[in-house]
Formats: sequence, structure tokens, C-alpha cells
Amino acid sequence: MPFPNVRLSNRPLHFIYLCDCSGSMAAQGKMQALNQAIRQSLPGMAEVARENPEARVLVRAVRFADQAAWHLAEATPVQQLQWRDLEAGGITAMGDALNLVADALQSPPMEERALPPVLVLISDGQPTDDFDAGLANLMRRPWAQKAVRLAIAMGHDADLEVLQQFIGPEPSAHGKSPRRPLQASNATTLAQYIQWASTAVVGAASMPASRVTAADAGGPNSPANIPLPDLPPTLLDPSDDVGPLVW
Amino acid sequence: MNWLLPEGASLPFAGLEQPLRIEQGLGGGSQGQVFAVQLGGERLALKWYFPACIGRDPQLRERLQQSIRLGAPNRDFLWPLALLDPIPGSLGRFPAAAGGFGYLMGLRPDAFVGAHRHAGGDLAISLQCVLKACFHLAEAFHQLHLKGLCYKDVSLGNLFLDPSSGGILICDNDNVDVDGQSSGSVLGTPGFMAPEVLLGQAKPSARSDLFSLAVLLFRLLTRHDPFRGQRELAIRCLDEPARRRLYGDEALFIFDPNDPRNRPDPIEHSAALITWPIYPAGLQRLFEQSFGPGLRQSEQRTLTGQWKQAISLCLDQRQLCSHCGQETFPAADAPGACWSCGTPLPEPLRLRLPHGLVSAAAGNELQPHHFDPLVGEAIREPLARLVAHPSDPALLGLQNLSTSRWRGRTTSGQSIELDPGKTCNLSALQQIDSSAGAILVLRP
Repeated sequence: MPFPNVRLSNRPLHFIYLCDCSGSMAAQGKMQALNQAIRQSLPGMAEVARENPEARVLVRAVRFADQAAWHLAEATPVQQLQWRDLEAGGITAMGDALNLVADALQSPPMEERALPPVLVLISDGQPTDDFDAGLANLMRRPWAQKAVRLAIAMGHDADLEVLQQFIGPEPSAHGKSPRRPLQASNATTLAQYIQWASTAVVGAASMPASRVTAADAGGPNSPANIPLPDLPPTLLDPSDDVGPLVW
Repeated sequence: MNWLLPEGASLPFAGLEQPLRIEQGLGGGSQGQVFAVQLGGERLALKWYFPACIGRDPQLRERLQQSIRLGAPNRDFLWPLALLDPIPGSLGRFPAAAGGFGYLMGLRPDAFVGAHRHAGGDLAISLQCVLKACFHLAEAFHQLHLKGLCYKDVSLGNLFLDPSSGGILICDNDNVDVDGQSSGSVLGTPGFMAPEVLLGQAKPSARSDLFSLAVLLFRLLTRHDPFRGQRELAIRCLDEPARRRLYGDEALFIFDPNDPRNRPDPIEHSAALITWPIYPAGLQRLFEQSFGPGLRQSEQRTLTGQWKQAISLCLDQRQLCSHCGQETFPAADAPGACWSCGTPLPEPLRLRLPHGLVSAAAGNELQPHHFDPLVGEAIREPLARLVAHPSDPALLGLQNLSTSRWRGRTTSGQSIELDPGKTCNLSALQQIDSSAGAILVLRP
């Protein structure tokens, strides 16, 4: 006879992409690179979701250009997700995008109990609207304070300062850290970071992984809400990459 | 996945007489990546570490060498077999892999799947096989601790199950260390860590292993978590600080016999309420011990030998409900009702052995420890198995799994002989003298 048909109760894990679709994203195939990177990351993300019995991974996406709008409005189980291509054109209403996410993170519609949400902000430029007001609005939501907030800078024109503000205080240690904007200066690195965020980070937020004593990995006294996994080793360390932009 | 080592390449390594062929990448985690490899016709697995991981854990190499020297506690561990260092310059084209090292181990057969799938309700497995897996787990840690070692990071993520047999494989053995040396940097996995380790008051040890083992056994047997009850419902965002309270400062066993404040919620935690009553009181008491007094006093935790004893008794008591066919485990002195359909359980036909009593249900097995109390509980090599007749499932027989001929007699006094591999009908059997000792049929 089979084991009774029961399972560990699980909690939703909301994973939200905030994607810059301003006109500059049309240049050098950046928009296509982002669409590809997200699409390619989905099978791995679905696999991580399957391996984490404690989580129900739900994906949404916001696009922002002249204004912000839900690109994927319904929180969709990652296993059922079909990525529709984003299209570039317009300016950079990043603050507006943060307002949209802020609305989604209040309860309701947000469930009463959940795992920490994961927010991934991807941009190649400067906000053209009131970013500060949008961020302040977002950070008033308890779920946004609890969220794992990551940022990916595409190319060298991204405003690293606003991306750092989105993530939170800059870590004191030097070098690459997931608590700094991840700089993707080519399509391969972008794909690696998207894959990392959608697998390793989702895994860490949904089911605790092994802990080590190192301070950056979140020891017992770590202030971190969710200890973030190591960044993937990339062939070209972005901080060393000063060559021309190749997309 | 971006693989550290190129799939399809043959690479030389220090100490290997022939090059190692990298067949394919199998997976990656926070420490490194695992590859299927081939060495002189033998297929093995290679774990290759990220330089960052080696940097964080300076004693890693020494620990691996020690484990390789000591050898695996038993065959349920995917134990390190050999340390692999690159030949200087040979990995020049693979900068992410250079500067690292790895180790070879056995390749996990396809039949074994991650234990998290069981916890997620995504695995068809019988209660008997889950109990067998739990027995193997207790036995594996028994052997590991007897060698003076501790594992440090017991969790669902490091365990694989064969759902058809209850066999297990324990992987990620690279934190294993001599108990008390605590040279490594690993602390364990939240949700499985002993409270004193989670709260930073102690280093992982064989005693903290015992706590993590109890959590893992509970999760396998119930598909639920021993501390997620009412107190979990009060947590909105289940993040690190919340987990530290739930499993550390405020940990309270959901079935604590003296404190009902953290009982499971009938809707959110239904798995625990359905599965916990399946198991006999003797087994439940061991959890109450480990998660009650054992929560704060590590010397109070259930020992591996006690788990082995209670789980093997539970397997001996297995009985199929005559109404719904579900597996039940009533104690001989407390028959009760089927946990699944509520039908009262009649007293079953039992086999009396020199050191045990086994209920007659298809699939139950007679083990060497039922005949010889000195061998210790083991379930790997049964001497006999109860089997249903292939064309008449109602007819139950006893199959001789030994290599010698057994002799017995029927209730009418007739002598019979039972050759290895043969099965005799239980309904007419009075007694059989096996090579290990007498088997007496007790009718209710």
C-alpha cells in the first residue's frame, strides 16, 4: 500500500521580475538577450521548485518604459510559465514599477503567510520618473522589507546608485557580492546571473541550505533576512571587464 | 549550467595513471559541481569544488584524506574514494576549475531519488519501505558514530531513497570529521540543526547528529516537520529570524505529551495528524524523548541503537488491514483499529522466533537478529520472507531465503522439507526448524 497521500504544507514564494524596457534596451540586442536569458532559466527554476517541498514558486513580471505595467500580471506557477517576449521603447519609469510591485506586496492580494519574496530589478539606464518616491512607497510594505532584492545592471550606462538603493545598504567588504548590483556586460554573463537568481536564490529563499560559519553566509548573528548563495563563477569577472560592449 | 570541467574531455590528474573522461555534468550547488566520469572503464562520480568553497574551508582537503583513509562506515554512504588534484597547467583552459580540487566517489544509481520528493508527496513508496529506509538511516549513523566520526549536516537534501526497496544513499560526506575535532566550517541545515548549534552555542558533533537524525526520521515517517504547528501559523514571513525562533529559541515538538501549545493545525498541518497515529507508541516515545528533554539536553537524545530496535520492532508488527488493505503496525498488546479505515484489527497469525515475534503479513521478513541476539538488528539479509501465493493472494507462505534445507511439520504431524527458495503454506504449518533456529506458528 502506498504512503498516505499527504505532503508537507508549503508556502508561496513570489518571484517578481522588474524589467527595463526603455528604448535603449532595443540597442545591441539587449532586449532579446534578456528575453532569452529569462526563457532559458525557466526549466532550471522549475526543477528547483520541484525539489523544494516547502515552497510554491509563483512568478510575475513588470515592464517599465514610458510607464510601468504588469507584463505577467498573474502569479504563475513556474512549471506552467510561458515567457512572452518583452519589447523595448520609451523612457525609464522605474519608480512607477516600484509602485506597482508595492501594491502587489500588500495583504491582500498578498497571502497572509508566505516565504520571503524575491524581487529582481534589471535595468540599463537611469530612472526618468520619481524613483525615490517609488522606492519609499515600496519599502513601506513589510513584505518588501522582507524580500530578497537583487539588481542586474545591463551594460555600463545603468545607474548603479539607484540599483544599490533598491538592494539596500552596500556591504562593507570589497569585491563581488549579491548585495551589490550585478554588472552584466555581455549576454552570457546576463544569462548566468538570471539563472543564478532563479535557481540558487529561489532555493535559498524557499528551503534553507547548509550553513557555514563564514560571516557572509549568514551565521547565527547575521543580520541577513535570507543568506544569499555565492555568485556563480563567471568567466569574465565583470569588475575586470573594461572592454567594449559586446551584445 | 556552466560546467567547470568540459563535458566530453579526457583530462589528466595527479596520481591517476590514465586520463579521466568527463562524461557529463550532473548537478551543482553552493560548494561545487558533480560530474559523471569514466576511469579505465569504470563509471564514477567526481565532485569538483569552487575555489571560494575551498577558501572558506581550509581543512577540507585534510578531512577528505582522513575519510578516504578510514573508509566508508557501510555501503549506504557515497564515500570519497580518492582525492583528485589537477596536474599544474592541465586545466589552463578552464580558469574556473583551476585552483580547485575534487574527489571521486561511486555513481548514484538511477533508482535512487532525492528524499525531498518524498517530503513533497511526489513519490510512490510503501510504509514498509519508508520504515526500512529509516532503519538503514539509523544503521548508517550507528556505524558512522561507532567509527568515532560525525556527519554534521544531516538533512533531506543529503539523502536519496530507492522507493522500491527502501534502500538509501547518503551523499555529501565531505563534512564528516572525527567527533569533537570540529575543524570544518559547516553548521548544518536550518530545520535540521540541533538548537544549540542553530543558536551558536555549540559546534556540530555526534550528539547534534542525533538531533538532526531524529528530525530526518520524523520527516520521512510523517511527511511533516516536528516543529511546525500553531507556532508556525503565527509567522507571516518564514525567513531566517523566524526559523531561528521556530527551531531554536521557541522550539516545541508538535506532539509534546506535556505541552499542547504547538499542536498541528487540522488544515495546514494535516499530514502530521494523518501519519503520526500510524506508528506504535514505542516509536512515538523516541521522538517525544529527542524533541522533549533532548531538545535542550543533548545526552537525552534517542541513540541510533534505540532507533534501530524500535523501527525493526515496528517492521515485525506490520499487518495488513483486512478491510482496506492498508499497512498497519499495531503492537501485540494493543491491537486497536486500522489508522486508515477504522476497522478493528484482529489479532494476526504470528511467527514465534527465539528472539522475536513477527506478524504474518505478505512482505514481512525474518532477520538474523530474530534468532541470535548477539548479531544486532539488521535487515539487509533476511532468512525468510512471508509471501502471498502468486495466483491466490489470500494464501500466505513462508519462503526460505537461506542456502540450506529446512525441515518442519504440519498441524497434522506430517513432516515437510523446505529447500532454499521454496515456500511452504502457513495455514497448515506448525513449526519449522530453520538453519538459524525454530520458527513456531502462533494462531490467534
